Amino acid sequence: MEEVKILSAKFAIKDAHKLKVAKKHGAYATLDKLFAMAPVDVIDEVKRSGLRGRGGAGFPAGVKWGFLPKDTGKPVYLAVNSDESEPATFKDRYILVKDPHLLIEGIIICSYAIGSHDTYIYIRGEYTTQVKALQAAIDEAYKAGYLGDKVAGQDYRIDVTVHRGAGAYVCGEETALLESIEGKKGQPRAKPPFPAVAGLYGCPTIINNVQSIASLPYILDKGADAYRAYGTEKSSGTHLFGISGHVERPGMYELPLGLPLLEVIDTIAGGVWKGRKLKGVIPGGSSTPVLLPEEAKTVTLDYESMAAHKTMFGSGGIVVLDETVDIVALVKNLIDFYHHESCGQCTPCREGLGWMLKLIKKILRGEGSPADIDLLRELCDNIEMKTVCVLSAACTMPVRSYLDKFRPEFEAYVTKTNASPAGLQQE
Amino acid sequence: MADMVKLFVNGVEVEVEAGKNLIDAIGAVGIEIPHLCYHPALGADGNCRMCLVGIEDGRPPLVPACKTPAMAGMKVLLDAEHIRKIQRDVMELELINHPTDCPVCDQAGECRLQDYYMSYDRRQSRMTVPQVVKGKKMAFGCGVVHDQERCVLCGRCVRFCRQITKTGELGIINRSDDARVNIFPGRPLHNRYALNVVDLCPVGAMTSADFRFQQRVWFLKKSPGVCHGCARGCSITVDHNREKEQEARIYRLRPRHNPLVNGYFICDSGRMSYKAEEEGRLNEARHGRLARSVDQALLAVAEDLAQGGKITFILSPDSSLEQMVTIRALAEKLGATLSGFSDGWIIPGDGDDFLIRDDKAANRAGLELLGIDCSRTGFTAAVEAADLVVNCNNDLGRSLSAEELGQLFQSRRLISFASHRREIDNQAEIVIPVASWSEYAGSVINCQGILQHFPRAVVRNQPPMELVELIARLGSPLQSEADCWQELARLPGLPADPATIPTEGLQLNDNEAAHDQP
Amino acid sequence: MSDRSELISTGKPFSFDKKRDAAFEQLSKRYPTRESLILPALWLTQEQEGWVCQEAIAYIADRIGTFASKVYEAATFYTMYHLRPTGRYHICVCRTLSCWLRGKQEIVDYLRNELSLTPGMVSEDGRYSLEEVECLGHCGSAPVVQLNGEFHEDMDVEKLKALLASLQ
Ligand SMILES: Cc1cc2nc3c(=O)[nH]c(=O)nc-3n(C[C@H](O)[C@H](O)[C@H](O)COP(=O)(O)O)c2cc1C
Ligand code: SF4
Ligand code: SF4
Ligand code: FES
Ligand code: FES
Repeated sequence: MEEVKILSAKFAIKDAHKLKVAKKHGAYATLDKLFAMAPVDVIDEVKRSGLRGRGGAGFPAGVKWGFLPKDTGKPVYLAVNSDESEPATFKDRYILVKDPHLLIEGIIICSYAIGSHDTYIYIRGEYTTQVKALQAAIDEAYKAGYLGDKVAGQDYRIDVTVHRGAGAYVCGEETALLESIEGKKGQPRAKPPFPAVAGLYGCPTIINNVQSIASLPYILDKGADAYRAYGTEKSSGTHLFGISGHVERPGMYELPLGLPLLEVIDTIAGGVWKGRKLKGVIPGGSSTPVLLPEEAKTVTLDYESMAAHKTMFGSGGIVVLDETVDIVALVKNLIDFYHHESCGQCTPCREGLGWMLKLIKKILRGEGSPADIDLLRELCDNIEMKTVCVLSAACTMPVRSYLDKFRPEFEAYVTKTNASPAGLQQE
Repeated sequence: MADMVKLFVNGVEVEVEAGKNLIDAIGAVGIEIPHLCYHPALGADGNCRMCLVGIEDGRPPLVPACKTPAMAGMKVLLDAEHIRKIQRDVMELELINHPTDCPVCDQAGECRLQDYYMSYDRRQSRMTVPQVVKGKKMAFGCGVVHDQERCVLCGRCVRFCRQITKTGELGIINRSDDARVNIFPGRPLHNRYALNVVDLCPVGAMTSADFRFQQRVWFLKKSPGVCHGCARGCSITVDHNREKEQEARIYRLRPRHNPLVNGYFICDSGRMSYKAEEEGRLNEARHGRLARSVDQALLAVAEDLAQGGKITFILSPDSSLEQMVTIRALAEKLGATLSGFSDGWIIPGDGDDFLIRDDKAANRAGLELLGIDCSRTGFTAAVEAADLVVNCNNDLGRSLSAEELGQLFQSRRLISFASHRREIDNQAEIVIPVASWSEYAGSVINCQGILQHFPRAVVRNQPPMELVELIARLGSPLQSEADCWQELARLPGLPADPATIPTEGLQLNDNEAAHDQP
Repeated sequence: MSDRSELISTGKPFSFDKKRDAAFEQLSKRYPTRESLILPALWLTQEQEGWVCQEAIAYIADRIGTFASKVYEAATFYTMYHLRPTGRYHICVCRTLSCWLRGKQEIVDYLRNELSLTPGMVSEDGRYSLEEVECLGHCGSAPVVQLNGEFHEDMDVEKLKALLASLQ
């Protein structure tokens, strides 16, 4: 089992974030080919590549672009999602820092394909050094004529503006992101209308994740078939997986999709740390339901296998839990996060997550009852899918999985009167 | 006529207006979909999630009714167990952080949360953990008091200030269950419609400092009325009550929905104008310096009128059409002149592009329709030529200074029929109290040429006499409401029977609509 | 989150300095609407003053031509805007999943116990302030600490001590 270097091809090269170095290693080489193609052919190529959105939902990128209405007379916007706030996700920032020109080249490809002239890159506020690196690269690209009125000497204008978030996970949700660019609170919009029809400033808008966009130069350069050579039939290409938690070698690894999860953990990430036993794996960011070790044995890192195991590929952020993890405390940590990040507009999420948090704290303190566990479980059902966006489900889906798969641990907290110190430390 | 489509609600076919959202479309045929954040004047926000309905074979199968347009063939599910469960669940979540202090809450009796709890929840609370603590009794300005804990964050008040008044004083700050409505420090509510947020608020989170703790709403009698605050003539509800052994009292005025006139709103000064119905009223008839019964005083007036000489009747632009036409008939009989002079009722520049008009009179269009001269020159000429002036409740002090009035009536006899105590009436020989607009039934025409009829709302313990009755007793040929309308029906567009005027009013012909100037 | 409604008034008028003024004008060309400038303007304010006071919110609203309530909403919704001054060294410790799994609590405990820092508070001498924040996108090198915006990865108490000692 080996890493592949498509997106990360230049990551190890010194100063590849600088235009000169990047160019030497092939940056912007696809542009001649791009402008010789018709936009619809670019979209077709991307469709054929099978590239699925890397922001978490895995929606086919080319198909999404096809939803744009034709000739509305309104500008088409591209919003690049660099919010990267899903716990356990840390992939996009490598692109921002190590190879920002790959992203810019991807933006040019996408813009041309969808007929857009204005891109906003929405970057999370915490990425302080990253935003500087990205802006420096954009400035360089403007100077060199890759952005601006005449992109690569063609009669095509592209302006790219970096918009900084300021501490709100929910702004990763595509419509909250648009609201945030418009200067509002990051509160997701009800869909329909979908952003492709009425997005930023009411205009047709495509939102794609950084990694999705950064995958485009390779697809255009080498062709859809070359991209499809990696991964599986329905999950093509490579992904920047982030492996964190209780492993020997946590970090970001580019791998083709479809590899067996456990093997990846064992070989690529060095296995469970300190020689401990595996308790569970979160496969794709904190929002995805947990897998037990036996499930982790059979699952592969692709959309279909994850779905078959009743979890999700998500953002590719794999978290390994060793045998010492206090699941009840972990659930408290999770609910705390989602409660803190709820935009607060819809009743079930706003009120429900707060209730769940208070219940799990009560259980952790050893003051809970079996009825509290049942209530917690019931609240997951009562909240999920009743809301404007899926942030609430991003909390209830994993919480339900812990409750179902580790029920005795919760019961231990309500039957024994003493709560474990591991649980209390979080208060 | 709007396009109609057929769709199914709980398997039953109904015909509804196409394109309207499901709450309104299905609501129009009498099926309620519970909702908190949606308001027809403010649009759908989609945050409360109370209105979730099922769509059979739909994708997605669950939609917010407020955001879903009615389409032909749709199979809407309301009366299904899973939908009822969602309604219960959302209600439960609405309530977990709600103080449920209904016994001390002004909204009790007209609270959506209370109503929906009864219709959709009715369960014991399962909330065993502490509630979120937020601000109470916050003075937001313009007499609006806010309770953050009662608030369900539907955002109606915020949207009202942003979309309707465009003053944007309110916001929902923070996020998660710390979200709350607030004003920016130092920039309180400052607009002429602010108190509408009290009506808009589906719960008791926005209350009026004026009405707070005055009366439980279920004791209030609700009478339809027309605001006499300006020429818009907004449709209102007069909420009044007589507590045991006490005088009947108006507790508040509220907007009454009227798509032709005022939509869902009224201005704050109109809303507070009920105070003028309660305060500064003229209660006793007087002849010379002596208090008299109304009958005695009226006898004296009749004698004065019978003496002949030149008489001028002054009409009020606030009077009802019935009053105007009765007075006109009497004047004609007596060969008296008429004037509706009331320039001072118009405050140039005071109106806005929403409801408020420069003209503070409710029925100037009526005066004009009846051909009654309102000019200052006509007024001066008529008064100067007259031996006797009969002022029928026109607050002349609005149009003329005390000095001007003093001069004018120095050497002239003045009789006043007045609902309120006014400076000028000190100069009157005879003064007789009359009913004000909340105490009589009548009809007025607003600045848009819309004719509205309103019934009597308040009956005082000792009801002041109505101007029409009084004038009839002085010998007007029009002796009854039917007489009045027979006369009025001769005017273009006016019906013969006020009972035929629709509740939202009757748009008179286009010429009348041309009155729609500031 | 916690309640952020309370704003601090400095009692002094606020305005952008020359540098931020120029930056603001530059930014205004990048967006088709003025309201899009709300977040950037709050950032400029924080860059200039280290935090965002009540006067600054009013200034931004007036300068953009929008309601103060909208800027107030944004300032309280987005938790990275400091609505009160921070310490000279503002320490953010990630409290989320991967950092929690890999010992963020020891770091927080050290700061609490040894430096008497409480999350959300500034130390008495104004030197430090501590904040527990949500996932910082560096979970592969957990636990992480951000000090005045700079990331410090694979932290432990020893490394933290060394880091704090290196500050003048
Ligand atoms: C609560 C929430 C948070 C999200 N956060 C992110 C994020 O940080 N980055 C991201 O790219 N997508 C995020 N998404 C997914 C986006 O809504 C959207 O699907 C994605 O940006 C589309 O790009 P893609 O098709 O290229 O994946 C989030 C979704 C939700 C519901
Ligand atoms: S589900 Fe939660 S985060 Fe999403 S819109 Fe509703 S309140 Fe906001
Ligand atoms: S105060 Fe009333 S109207 Fe305003 S958000 Fe709260 S519940 Fe809705
Ligand atoms: S009325 Fe539809 S969500 Fe509130
Ligand atoms: S969990 Fe701490 S950086 Fe992601």
